[in-house]
Amino acid sequence: MLKKTAIILFVVLITAFIFPGCGNSGQSEKTVNDSISQVNATDSIFDEDSTKSAMTTAENNIEKNTDTLVSKTKNVKIAKPKVKVYYFHGANRCVSCVAIEEVTKKTINTYYKKELSEGIIEFKTIDIEESKNKVISEKYQVFGSSLFVTKILNGSETKTDLTGDGFKYAKNKEEKFIEILRKTITDYLK
Amino acid sequence: MKKALIFILSLMLTGSLFSQTIGDTIVSNNAKNLKLTVLYFHITNRCNTCTTIETLVRKTIFENFKTEVDSGIINVSIINCELPENKVISEKYDAYGATLAITFINGAKEKTEDLSNWAFQKVHKEDIFISELKNKITELLK
Repeated sequence: MLKKTAIILFVVLITAFIFPGCGNSGQSEKTVNDSISQVNATDSIFDEDSTKSAMTTAENNIEKNTDTLVSKTKNVKIAKPKVKVYYFHGANRCVSCVAIEEVTKKTINTYYKKELSEGIIEFKTIDIEESKNKVISEKYQVFGSSLFVTKILNGSETKTDLTGDGFKYAKNKEEKFIEILRKTITDYLK
Repeated sequence: MKKALIFILSLMLTGSLFSQTIGDTIVSNNAKNLKLTVLYFHITNRCNTCTTIETLVRKTIFENFKTEVDSGIINVSIINCELPENKVISEKYDAYGATLAITFINGAKEKTEDLSNWAFQKVHKEDIFISELKNKITELLK
């Protein structure tokens, strides 16, 4: 009887021991899985964080570099060209001579008003027979009606003589003369 | 009859003198020999510079290329571009005011060089104008 009771107790104990073990094992597995998924999730979070962090660092670097570039650009002065349009004439003027002056004035006032007010373009009509204009007339080597467009950049001057085009087109083919004059001025302003 | 003939001859002479005064075409030559045409276009109201260019062109040609002009190799034309009868040739040469052009003719082919800007740059230096124009024409005739 005692032996039977001991066997039953032993079986009960073994059963009790085994079943909870299976349950724990499952729970443990789930926990492990959860834990893995958490680890994965953590990895994933860690990756996003590191990417974000890397991106932020890169952005900061770019901003810093851009700031450096901007500050460098601010320090470098970009030279802007200045354009002088001079029309020379004598005391006795013909119709073509008058037409060249009028069309030149019209072109500048129509297409370069802003540049004229800012001093980027300068327009002058010069009477070569007046003594005060002797120096500039000699500089340009003019002896009669002449139209010059001059570009000044970094102290050096580049001249284009448009006298021939003026006499050819200003009176009877105004639009063609305006086109030539605009092209010369616009190219020099670049 | 004799009187009528004299009258007709007088009219023809007057006409030729008048056309010389207008001075459109100053030399007309034998077309089959033609190699080079010098054309100077001007408007009706001319300034000193414009007339000086014509004078220097004439001087260059007749002092240096008289033989070529006489044999019809070179033709010189002075043309008023504002006259309606000259509209076609003026448009062909893009001449709406004082314009100096040289056309080199090789068979059916024509090559034109516009010397207007050059002429206005050099017109006040007669020696340089004549020398450079002479060299240009000589080069084209080679």
